[in-house]
Amino acid sequence: MTAIATNPPRDRRSPLERAYARLGVLLIAPTIIVFSLVIVYPLLAAIYLSVFSIYTPTLQGDFVGAANYIELLTGGAFWHSLGVTLIWTVGTLSLQIIAGIGLALLLHQNIWFRSLARSLVLFPYFLSTVVAVLVWRWLFNDLYGALNHGLIQLGILDMPLDWLGSMPNAMIGVILVGAWKYFPFVVIAVLARLQTIPENLYEAARIDGAGPVGRFFDITLPQLRSVLVVIILLRAIWDFKEFDLLYLLTGGGPVTSTQTLSLLVYQEAFGLNQMGQAAAYSVGMMLVMLAFMVLYIRRTGGK
Amino acid sequence: MKTLRPIVLNLVTWTLVLLIAFPLLWMIITSLKPQSELFRIPPTWIPESITFEHYWRLLSETPFLRYFRNSVVLAVSTTVFVVILGTLGAYSLVRFTYRGRETMAMLVLFTYLLPSVVLIIPLYLMIASLGLSNSLFGLILAHTTFALPYALWLLRSFMEGIPEDLENAALVDGASRMGAFKDVIFPQLLPGIISTALFTFILSWNEYLYALVLVNSESVTPLTTGVMSMLISAFNIEWSLLMAASVMMSLPLIVVFAFLQSYLTSGFGAGGVKG
Repeated sequence: MTAIATNPPRDRRSPLERAYARLGVLLIAPTIIVFSLVIVYPLLAAIYLSVFSIYTPTLQGDFVGAANYIELLTGGAFWHSLGVTLIWTVGTLSLQIIAGIGLALLLHQNIWFRSLARSLVLFPYFLSTVVAVLVWRWLFNDLYGALNHGLIQLGILDMPLDWLGSMPNAMIGVILVGAWKYFPFVVIAVLARLQTIPENLYEAARIDGAGPVGRFFDITLPQLRSVLVVIILLRAIWDFKEFDLLYLLTGGGPVTSTQTLSLLVYQEAFGLNQMGQAAAYSVGMMLVMLAFMVLYIRRTGGK
Repeated sequence: MKTLRPIVLNLVTWTLVLLIAFPLLWMIITSLKPQSELFRIPPTWIPESITFEHYWRLLSETPFLRYFRNSVVLAVSTTVFVVILGTLGAYSLVRFTYRGRETMAMLVLFTYLLPSVVLIIPLYLMIASLGLSNSLFGLILAHTTFALPYALWLLRSFMEGIPEDLENAALVDGASRMGAFKDVIFPQLLPGIISTALFTFILSWNEYLYALVLVNSESVTPLTTGVMSMLISAFNIEWSLLMAASVMMSLPLIVVFAFLQSYLTSGFGAGGVKG
């Protein structure tokens, strides 16, 4: 931001600086055009559509004013889905953070084939959600699934469980798969930060007689604090809006027990064909998310 | 005690790592099991015999190869389009001063965090009215909504890491801004560009929702919705075939992991997790 501080007032800019500013605008212009077309316009259109009642197949509709928003506030579906979204987000995010920090600490140690271990841990994050879901639905299969038989052979279960078809198993199932798929993000971010903690901090603590647990709480955790805040905000935003994983694993079911806000919007628009109402739900969802977003943007200072 | 500790640490870590990798291992094992062995109760953890028949059937009897081709066209086009725009845009956002620059940067970050379902409804209407439903071009346009903010954000971070002195030295030597960009900035930025391109490719390759809503014609169906429809339409689900499809679908990823992993990790450092 030094560029702004040293920049002379606008009216006293040299011809060269003005030429540079023009070039700068020219370079960003294609991006601005595409942005306006595919993001800004649809965003405004979503808000506009939310005051209409539109039947998806014909795209015919009437102006209904605030009716969609009154339905949102009083109909119950939005609040139910908001609750489901919060349970899913808090559940999967906590697991991601705990598993992520744990594994990052282990992988930071000098273990055999460390880079292979890191690759294996990283892989689920980059895997297509479709692939992840197929594999897990096969693992969860109630008759032939490896998970049930593995747990029976280990003596943890007596009977095969219906993982995705009943509650609370379905919620536990999606939270588990979500944690498996997204915790590597936490591992990588935490690992990168761990490498920058000066070794002499640990030396000093060791001399003072701090054990491994004490060193973790007195040195590692405070050092990780700032990166953890950013990870938690970012992952909270991403988990909150997750669609593919839940839609493909349970479709929101059984009934609507795992129907998060993203699924509610989709279901309303393309299942029930009520596009206007769906747009209102999506605007409502965005308003909830805006709180996280502002927090994140504030926290990172736009970096 | 002193010698035991590393061994315990290794065992614990590797048990956990293998547990995490187990679903992937199981995917490969299932795809290689003959049909007769698949529905054994309890399942055979190590296959008694190995077969490639599912891969053969996938390639010869299902539209898998067409889906694969569509996905390649889709992901490559999206990546090229977005990386070109993003590189120019990031250069502008980081190294030029003009009114509205900060606003633009904020807008990029905001859209980077925006949920797809908010945009999907108006995009569906827009793409239908432009006559682009069921076309790869329409889908590429839709992919831009998440790929462009993402690429811009990543490239912006990489661009900020390039010392300004380098460019200034070139300017003092009489280079034009674009000349300096070509000779000084671009070579420095190249690893960042590769990293961004890989991330964008993976994002686009894996995308599901837009393909679900905007495409219902077989001829443009990408892998994500195509493979999923193989699951839904099958009368009795052929898990071996689906696992073979899953392995094949992950091939580009495996290639990236085997040869280009350092680019992925460096992209992570830039992608908003600098803390």
